[in-house]
Amino acid sequence: MALAAVPAALIARRAGPGRTAAVGLAVFAGAGLACGVADELSTLILARCVQALGGAAAVTASLELLPATVGSERRATVIWASAGATGAALGPAVGGILTELISWQSIFLLQVPVALAAAVPIFSVARHEAATGIIDTELRQTGRPHLWANVALAMVSAAIAAALFLLVLLLIEGWRLSPIGAAIVVSVMPLAAILGSRLDAHVPDARARAAAGAILVSGGLGGLALLPSAKVVLTLPPQILVGIGLALVLSALTETALGGRAPQAIHGGWTISARHAGVVIGLLALTPVFTADIAQQREDAIDAGTAVILDSKVDPLLKLSLAEKISDRLDDEKGKVPTIGPAFEPLPENEDERAEVETLQDELQDQLDRGATHAFSPSFGLAALIGLLALIPIGLSRRVDL
Amino acid sequence: MNAPAPAEGSNRAWLLVGGSVVAALLLVGIYFAAGGASYTPEKTQDPCKHRPWSNPESLGDFANQFSVSALDGAACQLGVSREALAQALATPEAREEFLDRYDISDKELARAIRASLLRTVDDAEQAGALSPLLADPLRSFLKQIPLDQAIELVNDASSLLSSAEGFLGPAGALLEQFLP
Repeated sequence: MALAAVPAALIARRAGPGRTAAVGLAVFAGAGLACGVADELSTLILARCVQALGGAAAVTASLELLPATVGSERRATVIWASAGATGAALGPAVGGILTELISWQSIFLLQVPVALAAAVPIFSVARHEAATGIIDTELRQTGRPHLWANVALAMVSAAIAAALFLLVLLLIEGWRLSPIGAAIVVSVMPLAAILGSRLDAHVPDARARAAAGAILVSGGLGGLALLPSAKVVLTLPPQILVGIGLALVLSALTETALGGRAPQAIHGGWTISARHAGVVIGLLALTPVFTADIAQQREDAIDAGTAVILDSKVDPLLKLSLAEKISDRLDDEKGKVPTIGPAFEPLPENEDERAEVETLQDELQDQLDRGATHAFSPSFGLAALIGLLALIPIGLSRRVDL
Repeated sequence: MNAPAPAEGSNRAWLLVGGSVVAALLLVGIYFAAGGASYTPEKTQDPCKHRPWSNPESLGDFANQFSVSALDGAACQLGVSREALAQALATPEAREEFLDRYDISDKELARAIRASLLRTVDDAEQAGALSPLLADPLRSFLKQIPLDQAIELVNDASSLLSSAEGFLGPAGALLEQFLP
């Protein structure tokens, strides 16, 4: 997507946005179908690449088509930018729900009718372009892309990728929530993003909105880096900040990158490239940090858990049996955080003994939760720092009041 | 919605940025104050730090204290954590990995465990947790354990805390013999 967006925009400009969008949506739908029925990872990756080409064509060409529909280029820019921000926030929640309720394949299969439905109204524009040979877009000289706005977009996208992907990972792999449970939890972010997008109309200064958004995203990520307990409710305030922040910063920077520049499709293509490149760079930078931390925290949590067992007052024979079962669960989970509850069943009938075993279980679970949560902290912290550093290019971007 | 006047727009911009800074600092500050920076797994204790014996309430309690104290002593002598040693004694594979990782020989391990067992009996006796009537024969028994038998005690491990099983097996049997 990062590589295809600008070339796709150039094609849209030459071949006509209607035809490009229609072909893009058809390619997107076909590749989505291929993703849904893929039985090998290599096929899935290949189909996803093709889907990115179709998506790039459809998204950039749509920016050329929007002004005719919504009445003005300015309004088209605002809607296009807001749609991108909302989509980014909505993706993980919808994906989690579909994965749990149906299957991961359904994410791709459901894209097919949606893409085809979106293509229907565009076909008439495409037919008009094909019949008349007239491209309804003024072929203006392509200006240089807005460097600082796009750099800032890449940086905040890297930070937002951490918020979206790492939080889902923390909830599912660290805190053992089901995909649908995690999806419900992270749905707070798109809801907050909708709230954030309503602020756009009240503050015309795009640079102020971008700065405020970057600060909120960083603050939210800082909160996720400093979670004081493994409780889902504690992720909600950071998510609200990230959600409002991402709506503000993505739309403001996209508007700044597009403001006064033509043609819109090409500059829109640059923003798409910057955002996706930011996601890729963010994940490339954060994944090694995260994997190293999770290995270290696992070791620390096992050590702490061993200490809890050794110091427990539970009868030695029962303790040995429990330790063996917990050790088996750790092996079975192959590096994931295990659910240790079953290792403690059946609980002793003696009341005092049961109380001691339950205390041991709680203390052990606490150590595992601490390890799992802390494993994500440095990555969230680094992402917060990247988000804050985005204030530099935001400060350097010229003020555009749309 | 009509666009706000420039001055009003500027005020709103400052308000938005200021509000964002306050919200971000507030969240980070509250989470920090609530212990977010220290929400990590508990650090393991120094095995060389003396843990006082308490008067055992039962044989099980004695066995627990005996096991922990013996592990502490051996871990201290080997320069590793008590937890790492306990995990190492769980299975032969874990023990091999442990010996390779810390560059310790089987003999050094066995020597450390045997010495620690003897020290544990001394400590228990000094703390009044073990009667001299029990301590002396126990000490004599442990002194006679050949090196390979000390390793056998370790090799008998079959779970995370099998070291404790190894220590407590003979100790427990002896104690039961000497208990009234």
